[in-house]
Amino acid sequence: MFLLPKGNPLFENLAVGTLKLPEVLAKLSTGNFTGYASFVFQEATITLVFEAGKVVSALHEEENGNRQTGLEALTALCHLMVGTSGGTLNVYKLSKDLTRCIHALLQGEILYKAQELKLVDIKALLEKIGSDKMSGCLRIYTDERSTIIFYKDGAPLGFFHDGSQDIETSSSESQKIAGLPGAKIDLFTTQGVEHLMGLNLLEIINIQNIWETAVALQQSEINRINTAREERERKNIAGKLEELEDQVKTIVVESVGRVGRGIVDKELNDQGGNSCLLDETNVVKFLAGVERSAKLLISATSLKVMMEQLSRTITAAKSGH
Amino acid sequence: MEQFIELLSQVNTFELVRTIFWGLAGAISFYFSIGNARVWTSISIGFFLIFLGQAYAINPWVHYYKLSAFHNIVGTVAIVVITHGFLEYYVFCRTFEISGKKVAVYLFSLLILVAGGLFLFVNPTPSPNTIRNFKIVENAIWVFLSIMNLELIRKIYVAIKDSPISKGFIAFGIVFFLIFLWRGSELYLQIFQWDKDWQDIIAVMTDEVSDIDKFADRVQISTLVNRYAGFLSSLSVGGTFIYIYRLLR
Repeated sequence: MFLLPKGNPLFENLAVGTLKLPEVLAKLSTGNFTGYASFVFQEATITLVFEAGKVVSALHEEENGNRQTGLEALTALCHLMVGTSGGTLNVYKLSKDLTRCIHALLQGEILYKAQELKLVDIKALLEKIGSDKMSGCLRIYTDERSTIIFYKDGAPLGFFHDGSQDIETSSSESQKIAGLPGAKIDLFTTQGVEHLMGLNLLEIINIQNIWETAVALQQSEINRINTAREERERKNIAGKLEELEDQVKTIVVESVGRVGRGIVDKELNDQGGNSCLLDETNVVKFLAGVERSAKLLISATSLKVMMEQLSRTITAAKSGH
Repeated sequence: MEQFIELLSQVNTFELVRTIFWGLAGAISFYFSIGNARVWTSISIGFFLIFLGQAYAINPWVHYYKLSAFHNIVGTVAIVVITHGFLEYYVFCRTFEISGKKVAVYLFSLLILVAGGLFLFVNPTPSPNTIRNFKIVENAIWVFLSIMNLELIRKIYVAIKDSPISKGFIAFGIVFFLIFLWRGSELYLQIFQWDKDWQDIIAVMTDEVSDIDKFADRVQISTLVNRYAGFLSSLSVGGTFIYIYRLLR
């Protein structure tokens, strides 16, 4: 994932689960916000860059390195926001220049990605940036810290590191980070991003529609999952009820003979099927019916034993549900 | 009381013993009907009514022909109620449906008996020949319904043969076989006019002759079957109800 300079935080670690993207964007837009909003999820990070309330850039980067921008990024953000409850939102206010740099960083072409600094001939690389008159940014980072050096036509524009509010001219922090064990670099070239700064993705993309579609899809998915779960539960209960019905029949048949199977079938049928065994009132009616019939076939003593056995079995099965 | 003692002295001892045994069977079956399911009520009430039907032998007012005919009506109602009970039991074995109330059986039996009494009350006093006709009708119904009950009992037994009570239905089968012999033999004698009642009737008629002497063996065998099958059926009914009572206790 991108490790971006944090700038001046407006919100940090705000739970995404309760937020609605159109409302968040509207709020940042109407406030003429300049900076970036980073939506961090377990599987991906989406960064939205704002300049004076306009959404000038959107980048969706997955854990595996896959990247999407623009509409795809916003669509992915909507789906992630409505589909997960674990995401967080961080909003950092930046100066206009820094915002432009971040925008360039997000939209630029990747030349190096997560390259171990110790494996790179950094001197030769810097010379190449100068000789090729490359415009872009070089990001040097560890797991904890990050610094970015911006270039224009091969000349460094400035340095940016965590906690900065603006571009600095001193390279000392960058050198410190580059000297840390495990430091890596990313190199991005920019293709003249100025024209992109005039864009407002919110004017091109109907975020409300995307959001509503995502919500509807999510609801549909929830319904499908619920239906599948209910069906599974129904089958599970039906299986247990069949098992209980067999146990009841076995008990009655053992006491009154094979005619007992018919008695149980008839009494269950009268109470609306074996699901009646789940309901206390219907169980009482069912047992009364079985008792009335069995009374014609077996002794009072056997009847008492059988009824106790039936009650125990049904109660045990119900408590097991 | 004197009239009753005089009547007892006139009654055939065998017939008296048989009536007493039917009394015992009736008492046992009536006792059995109390606190049991409706199907048993029909069956046991029916067997109790057999005793009332047979009780003419100890009835001091039996020389009133209307009362004598009433005994035959009671006997007929008895087998109808019994058959109704077995039919209900058979329906239960096939559908496991138990419907109706016991009181309906008591009321129905009482209503039929009252209707029978009214029928006799509004009609002329029956002659000895009419009384004999009553007996023929009663025996014919008994024979027909005994056969039907034997078939019902067979079907019930097949349906519940692994149930504890199934052996009780074998006992009922024996009861109805004996009843069939008892009533069938009497009907046989009546159909061929070899019965005692007919012989008494033609004794006072000048132009009637009987061929009873030509078939003395058949008449003797039928009379014996009638006496002993009737006696044994009363014993078997009492025994069967005691047996079933023990099975269901």
